[in-house]
This record gives sequence, C-alpha cells and structure tokens, in this order.
Amino acid sequence: MNATVRRLDGPVPLELKDVYAAYHGDISVLNGLNIKVREGIVTGIIGPNGAGKSTALKTFYGFLKVSRGEVRHNGQRINGTKPSDMVGRGVSFVPQNRSLFNDLTVEDNLRLGCWGIRSDKARIQEALERSYEMFPILKDKRHDSAGSMSGGQQRFLELARALVIDPDIIMLDEPTAMLAPKVSRELYDFISGLPEKGVTVVLVDQNVRQCAAVSDYLYVLDLGANRAEGASADFGDDEGLKAMIQEWLDYQID
Amino acid sequence: MSSILLYNALIGGLVFGAIYALIGASLNVMMGVLRVVNFAHGEFVLIGSFLAYSVFSLTGLNPLAALPVVAIAMFFGGVAAYYLLIPRLRYSDDAETSSFLLMFGVSLMLVSSITWIYGADIRPVNFSFDPVNIALLTVEDAYGKGRDGKVLVPTARLVALVINLAIIAAMTWFIYRTLPGKALRGAIMNRDAIQVVGIDIDRLSANAFGLAAALAGVTGVILTLVIPSVDPNGGAPLTLFAFIVIVLGGLGHPIGALLAGMLFGMVEQFSNVLLPQSAAQMVGFVMLVAVVMFKPEGLFGRKVMR
Ligand SMILES: Nc1ncnc2c1ncn2[C@@H]1O[C@H](COP(=O)(O)OP(=O)(O)O)[C@@H](O)[C@H]1O
Ligand SMILES: [Mg+2]
Repeated sequence: MNATVRRLDGPVPLELKDVYAAYHGDISVLNGLNIKVREGIVTGIIGPNGAGKSTALKTFYGFLKVSRGEVRHNGQRINGTKPSDMVGRGVSFVPQNRSLFNDLTVEDNLRLGCWGIRSDKARIQEALERSYEMFPILKDKRHDSAGSMSGGQQRFLELARALVIDPDIIMLDEPTAMLAPKVSRELYDFISGLPEKGVTVVLVDQNVRQCAAVSDYLYVLDLGANRAEGASADFGDDEGLKAMIQEWLDYQID
Repeated sequence: MSSILLYNALIGGLVFGAIYALIGASLNVMMGVLRVVNFAHGEFVLIGSFLAYSVFSLTGLNPLAALPVVAIAMFFGGVAAYYLLIPRLRYSDDAETSSFLLMFGVSLMLVSSITWIYGADIRPVNFSFDPVNIALLTVEDAYGKGRDGKVLVPTARLVALVINLAIIAAMTWFIYRTLPGKALRGAIMNRDAIQVVGIDIDRLSANAFGLAAALAGVTGVILTLVIPSVDPNGGAPLTLFAFIVIVLGGLGHPIGALLAGMLFGMVEQFSNVLLPQSAAQMVGFVMLVAVVMFKPEGLFGRKVMR
C-alpha cells in the first residue's frame, strides 16, 4: 500500500514507557502501556472501544496524570508537561472530539494554530500560505466560519491547523470517524503521505483494515495495555490476532 | 404625556443600558471562559465604586480620575484571585455549583470588608460638573400654551455614557479583532481545543478573570457618576442585573450581553415613564421569564453551548 518501504527501526522521538494513568483518583485506565513512536513512519493504534487508545494519545500530550512509568520525548522524561507546551515541542494533536472554534473564521482558526509564533507576522503569513497551498479549499473558505463547513472540510481544517507550524509529529484520533467513504479515502491518502513531508504520524483508528493499510507499524491495545504489535505487513499472517480482531469487529456490529 | 419624558427615558435607557451592558459583558467573559458562576460580580463593581469614592473624598478630584488605577489594580487583583481560588475547583465533582458557593462566600467577604473599611452608611459622591446639566434639545410647545421645554441631562450622566461606550468599543475591538481576544472567544467555544493550539488554559483563564474584574471595577467607577453615592450593600442588585443580562443575551456571547444590557436599560426606563410604578418594576422580570420559557439560549445566543 505504501509507496516507499519505510524503516521500522528508526529513532524513537516519542514513547510511553510502562505507563499507568487515571482520569480520576486511582482508577487506572492505562495499565503499564508501552508505545514507541518511530520517526518517519505511520504508527497505528487499534483496539476495541474503550481500550484506552484515546487515553494513550491524551497521556502523550500531558492531559492525564501519569502515576507510574514515563512519557519520553527525544530521550527526555516529560511527565507532567502541560498540553499547551507540546506544540512548542513539535508535537501536534487532533483529538477525537471536534476541536475547531466554530464561530471563528477558517483563517482565525489557523492563526490560533500559530499562537506559538504569534509575534512573528512574516512567519505566520508564510505558514498560512503553506496551509492554503496544501488545502486549496481552505483558502476559498478562509473568511467563512469554521462551523459552517462540511464535516470533511472541518476535519481537513483541523489537520491544517495541526500542521500549520510544521510539527515533527502529529497524533490523530479517529480522523475519519463519521465521514463519507470518499472523504475518508482522501484523508487516508493525505495521512499516509505525511512521513514523506517529514512528519511522523500516530494514528488511532476504529477502522482496523484502513488503519492497517495506512500504518507501517501497528499496536493493538486492550484494557489499557498492550495486546500485540508488529509491522503492518506481517499482521495478516497472525491467525490468533486475526481471530481476535474478527471477534471485536463482530462485537461492534452487534 | 410630554415628549420630554420620553426623551428622558431614552437617555436614561442609554445611560443605564450601557452600564448593564458592561456589567453583563464582563460577567459573560468570566462565565464563558472559566465556567465560574461569579456571584460576587456586583461586589467587584462595588470595589471600583468605593475606590472612586476614596479618590474623590481624599483629593476632591473627579471620581473618573480613579479609572486607570482601578482598571490596573483590579486586573492584577483578579489574576491573583484566580490563582488563589479557581484552580481548587478542579478537584470538585461539580465545579460549576462549587464555583457558585465559593463566589457567594467571596461576595459576603467583600461586603464585610467594605463595611469594615468604610462603615455601613451610604456615602454621597457629590462631585459636581460644571455645568451641572446640559440642554440636549428644545421641545417646542412641550407643556402647551406655547411654553417650550428643554431636555436637560445631567452632565455627569452624559460623561458616564460617553466613557462607557468608549470602553465597550475598546472591549469589542479587543475580543473580536485581536488574536488574544479571539483566543478568549475560542476558549468560550471549545475549552478543550484551546490547549491543542498551544495556549496555556490557566494563563488564559487568569487573564480572563483579571479582564472581567477590571471591567467590573471600571463599571463601578462610572456608576458613581450616574448614581452619586456608594452603598456597601449595593452589590447584590448589580449581580442580579448581570445575571439577567446574561440570560437575556445568551451565555458566553459577549455581544449578546451588550445588546441585552441596552435592551434591559431601555425597557426599564421606558416602563418607569409609561407604566404605573408597581407594574414598571415587574417588566424586566417578566421579560426574563419569557426569554427563559421561549428562547432559553438567549435573545442573541445560539444553541451551541455545551
Ligand atoms: N474523561 C474521562 N473520564 C473518565 N473516564 C474516561 C474518560 N474518557 C475515557 N474514560 C474511560 O477510559 C477508558 C478508555 O477510554 P478511551 O481511551 O476513550 O478508549 P478508546 O479511545 O480506545 O475507545 C474507558 O473505560 C472510558 O470509559
Ligand atoms: Mg477513542
């Protein structure tokens, strides 16, 4: 599926190391989770509903308190880093819930994405132009309110905003949920091309087949812990894993 | 009915409407960005009034001289109060109800402190402008028999109106035209998303609290020109007005609060002139109940919150 064969043993800029984390009190949602995000590839995270996929991304991003284990960025322990400092570290995040400012214009949404460089007018202009080049539809709609666009266009705006100041890593939580198949395909195409643009991708997805197709390396999560991992190319060969995935796919359809 | 009364109602509506607008808008910024139900908002306004009273009684200067000091002091006071009080609410299961109780406590504390410092009496702020009144226009044959009437407006109220409108304009420009202002509105629209664009929600909230406190204080200063006395127990009705304006205008909708404040001021002043007194006092509340029943998102709000 991927145009180029990518190295699966590159450096690890971002990592969860034996992480326990909770939303409230001491009810752990992540139970000793290990995830290595490798440079220059798409790392996929799949698992049944409630497995802790979104929680894992939020923990990378500092939204949850880590009670045990380590979040590491470029070899440095960053437990307790504020979410708002992650953009400055070159890590962008498109969360599962819509994250646009609906009554602000498309351009203002992008400008807020440039908050970290807000004093540098020239750089902002450059960043906006790059976004518009990448997503021409956003240029046409730049004076419309974000909430007035279609679901797909809103997703592209979220993506554009997350990319506007050139991150090294982007984390995407179910980016194609509730989108029409044609738009989903466009989005997956775009995502799978990001490593060639120098952006490492972490992709959480409910759609197992699509995620496996777009990802270079896959993690399977269940109950807030690792269930399996491996190169996406090898995943089809593992009968036990196929059976498990089939089981939760059946469960989802019920 | 003399048309002079109607002119007076119109001007009174503008003067009081602008005050309600400013009180409502500042409370709306605070409630929208922080989800803090600030039951002490009227007392924040009072602090401004009493500081203006102090400046006037100590120096004899126009109470407006207190404006910049009040704005700056209450901004930083608000930021400090934010860090002292608000982050604790996060440990609560129901942060909004807790915030209401907390701010109710703050309001009692502020009333006691003001009473302790200034005493319980209502104190006059009898600064007089020269001229005391300005004749805005002449109404021919206002009283019949060829007697003309003049629409006289206290200079203090006109000055209050002009300054109030200037502050409203500046605030609107800030919230709608600058990037930090857009960040504030962004936080009202989607509080979770503000952090993924790299904005520190704590700092933004502290600044919003400071801004709201400063605007409330400034309103208090202006209020001493419109009602030239200060009363330690005058905060509660102001808080009530602020909440009415927010309900009318729509929660988290700054422009809505401005329009609703103006509307409420107008309705109040015109009913004073046109209706018997007992009915006039009810009109505002009837309007409030009607809005809650038929358009709960507010006259100018949209059904998007939460
Ligand atoms: N905001 C929250 N507060 C408390 N518990 C939560 C919250 N969000 C998710 N959870 C719980 O954490 C677990 C993992 O959820 P999540 O990470 O959203 O799963 P996934 O994204 O894999 O579907 C679930 O049991 C869920 O109920
Ligand atoms: Mg999820």
